[in-house]
Amino acid sequence: MKILIADDSKVMRQIVLRTMRQAGFGHHDFVEAADGAEALDKVAAEAPDLVLSDWNMPNKTGIELLRALRGSGNAVPFGFVTSEGSEDMRATAATAGAMFLIAKPFTAEHFESALSEMLG
Amino acid sequence: MTISSAPDQALVLAAIEQVWGSMLFATAEAWPSDRAADFETGVQAQIELHGDWNGRLVLTCDSDVATQIAGAMLGLGPDEELPELDIHDAVGEVLNVVGGSVKGALVGTWALGLPGVSETSGAPSRDESFVVSWGDAPVYVQILPDAA
Repeated sequence: MKILIADDSKVMRQIVLRTMRQAGFGHHDFVEAADGAEALDKVAAEAPDLVLSDWNMPNKTGIELLRALRGSGNAVPFGFVTSEGSEDMRATAATAGAMFLIAKPFTAEHFESALSEMLG
Repeated sequence: MTISSAPDQALVLAAIEQVWGSMLFATAEAWPSDRAADFETGVQAQIELHGDWNGRLVLTCDSDVATQIAGAMLGLGPDEELPELDIHDAVGEVLNVVGGSVKGALVGTWALGLPGVSETSGAPSRDESFVVSWGDAPVYVQILPDAA
């Protein structure tokens, strides 16, 4: 599968990738985006099977990205990986169509739990 | 669990302790008040928080500490080097996670900004800060309200 990691922090993108490997998902293909606008372009260009997105990003936030995707009829599975994990945020994410929200700081177990059914 | 209507030292310290432990695999302890905590060149990260209280959280540390924090985040060995941009990125992301934890514990509707990181030429005033340890080095933490 192809997975898009969207986060304005290059360091955090590396950490997400490392954690995905630790969770046993390193054999998938990964592409990256540094903000929401780039992520939207990458979804169109790369057709990923899953999007892992930060919430707070410049040039289109993660929630704006998700709403743009759903608004255009794109049902790509989408999960947030973000520093904010309040119940309000999780509810907003779910309402917009996200499968899950993993709050930073996270562990490989968080990713395993959220993704094992989908990624195997 | 929401516990406060504005960020205070206890809340921010709790967030820092969590981040130090879970992301950086280190322990944050209070820096002794009678111990010098000066440095000359450093890195400063700021993030805005808006809600019933408006201001910013600021993290300031020595450049070597910033490098160590970035290395700890990425699991690098002692001899592995990082570009300055990545070091700043890492410190900013640490503050982003601290800010997110603080925001999540506040009552009401809050907005967290994007972290900004810059170089700095000295430690902040200890009167406006509380100081925690990173190993044997100080990290300054400030909760600065916007001017009225």
